[in-house]
Amino acid sequence: MTNPVTKDRRHFEDLTVGEVADLGHITVSKEMIITFAREFDPFPFHLDEAAAKASLLGGLASSGWQTGALSLRMLVDAFLSKVASAGGLGFSDLKWKNPVMVGDTIGGTVTVAELRRSASHPQWGIMTLDFDVRNQKDQPVLTMRLANLIDTREPGVPA
Amino acid sequence: MTRWFEDIVIDEVFPLGSHTFGADEIVRFATLYDPQYFHLDAVAAQHSQFGGLVASGWHTVSVGHRKMVDALFAEEERLLAEGRQPGVSGPSPGVNSMVFKVPVRPGDTVSYELVVTDKRASNSIPGWGLLFNRLTATNQHGELVYRAELVGFSKLRDYSMPLKLRLLLALTKLPLIGPLLKRGS
Repeated sequence: MTNPVTKDRRHFEDLTVGEVADLGHITVSKEMIITFAREFDPFPFHLDEAAAKASLLGGLASSGWQTGALSLRMLVDAFLSKVASAGGLGFSDLKWKNPVMVGDTIGGTVTVAELRRSASHPQWGIMTLDFDVRNQKDQPVLTMRLANLIDTREPGVPA
Repeated sequence: MTRWFEDIVIDEVFPLGSHTFGADEIVRFATLYDPQYFHLDAVAAQHSQFGGLVASGWHTVSVGHRKMVDALFAEEERLLAEGRQPGVSGPSPGVNSMVFKVPVRPGDTVSYELVVTDKRASNSIPGWGLLFNRLTATNQHGELVYRAELVGFSKLRDYSMPLKLRLLLALTKLPLIGPLLKRGS
């Protein structure tokens, strides 16, 4: 059965290991940091500039979970909205390398690290992506390996 | 948790409470951070493998983090009320693994639970320890929503800096030697 939402997008068979996608950029404002922190990570060093200056971070910085969520947003806009994504399976080896401070611009790349067909669900393939997210000074901010399901065009036909 | 590293008991279970996910907040989070059609549009989502709207995994994980922060604050208050000095929890270097199992649909209630599975002194930051935390999220049917293996820093109570380090630190405070030492390191 064809999915009308994703039928014209790239499918599992159209993807190549080693393919690199540019994530574009997002500039992180004070308002974005505080709004996210209020709901999900209300430590004083994500909410209050004076408390943040006195902390290990040395200034107002985004929650690591927000940095991850923004990386995901860039991935959806740049790549995932153009493929027949059937949902995420999870991720591994997430590392927060440097804090993201107010006014920082983050961007980077994802690389298709692995493509394999699902053994139990022939309608899907599993794509693993390596994230390399950096700030405007080219310092690493976040790395992780994400696993996502992608619809196959022809279920069960070995790639 | 907000205890000194030395007081943390391996395999002790901390219930973190639960959260009921409304359709509005699922769409609000997805609009900002994960705008895929099955997180945004209940009608289009019927064509997906989920058959309807589901929360972004990153949303359920962010709520789990909030639950953990609330539990840390609550324990800190409890210790202070007992006249004890709470420990200090530090930043997290990362997440070893995060596995999404059953999706979260509007109206689902997810319960979160934390277990410290292991701990050791940090090799890179003197005076701090590493905690290996497992966070599990379960829905109202008892199905596993996600399981995360997280790493966090926790401050050691019984730590005295070695003499060599203390001397080095004192040297960096001298006006001329400090900048030289910093340049060298």
